Amino acid sequence: MTEANINYSLNIILIIASVCFFIFIVNMVRTKKLELKYALTWLLTSFSFVVMAVFPQTIYFVAKILHIELPVNALFLCVIFLLLLMVFALTVAVSRQAIRIKKLIQEIGLLREEIRKNSLQ
Amino acid sequence: MKTLIIIPAYNEAENLPKLFKALKDTGEDFDILTVNDCSTDDTEKVCREYGINVVTLPVNLGIGGAVQTGYIYALRNGYDIAVQVDGDGQHDPQFIKHLVNRVKDGCDLCIGSRFIENEGFQSSRVRRIGIRYFSWLINLLMKTRITDPTSGFRACSKEVIKLFASYYPKDYPEPETVVMVLRNKLKVSEMPVIMKPREKGVSSITNFKAVYYMIKVTLAILISSISKKSVVKEND
Repeated sequence: MTEANINYSLNIILIIASVCFFIFIVNMVRTKKLELKYALTWLLTSFSFVVMAVFPQTIYFVAKILHIELPVNALFLCVIFLLLLMVFALTVAVSRQAIRIKKLIQEIGLLREEIRKNSLQ
Repeated sequence: MKTLIIIPAYNEAENLPKLFKALKDTGEDFDILTVNDCSTDDTEKVCREYGINVVTLPVNLGIGGAVQTGYIYALRNGYDIAVQVDGDGQHDPQFIKHLVNRVKDGCDLCIGSRFIENEGFQSSRVRRIGIRYFSWLINLLMKTRITDPTSGFRACSKEVIKLFASYYPKDYPEPETVVMVLRNKLKVSEMPVIMKPREKGVSSITNFKAVYYMIKVTLAILISSISKKSVVKEND
């Protein structure tokens, strides 16, 4: 069971797609559209996609360590785990922002009333 | 003692004038603050006409965020007692002095309850069952009998103002805040009041949301009863 089993055209498509994705992410970071904090995760993710597309053996290797019979299941496991982590991190970020936004809204309301009061005096 | 009446209001332009008049008729010494939760009607204009202080939020925050704004205002302006009164005319201002007196006597949170003397508007049957369930749950967890934990007619001390200014739940906040206050070892008591059915407009809790409401509040009460004691933390 080596890369010999892999359909070559599929392999090439995967390589092109993952490289494009990586370039896209790098470009987003370069133009400062992604905050570095979140960019790091995406850079690593897209880079690992490239590695997996170029060297499919890595998946076989991972499957072997985890004692998973089918390499594709190892891939799914890793990806789902990663996605769950990312979604959770986003939920945390959204909660924190909701609290911050609420505070700002309250502050604006209070300040507005204070300014109005002061301008009347 | 400096007392502030906090009135959260969302589209209550029709109900507010009556409430303001009733508040003035009590002849008590207190300031009034309306928190206008980004109403789409003339709520702000009505308040200005009556010379009532009003904080208008630029974005709708929901009942919790609006009420909390009032508590932040109370804290910053050095009020000793804050009384929460709904803007929809359900709460009769003549009971305010009873609630305030109880706080002056050393109680930290005094809740106006419909179910002590069972007078006045008693809410629908289904809601009463829900309220009794929350009451049972709070009694089970905190060993304190609160007959009307969903009541938004409450007076609170400086200590509680501080607590609420630092943390206040977003929606359906009342039962959770009662547990929060109890959890912080502060004194909670109840006073019989008579409530009226709301004058105009609709309640924020529709039948459709009832199930979500029950689950959310149950969870909030459970979490609140095991959360860290002094929740006075900076929400950074």
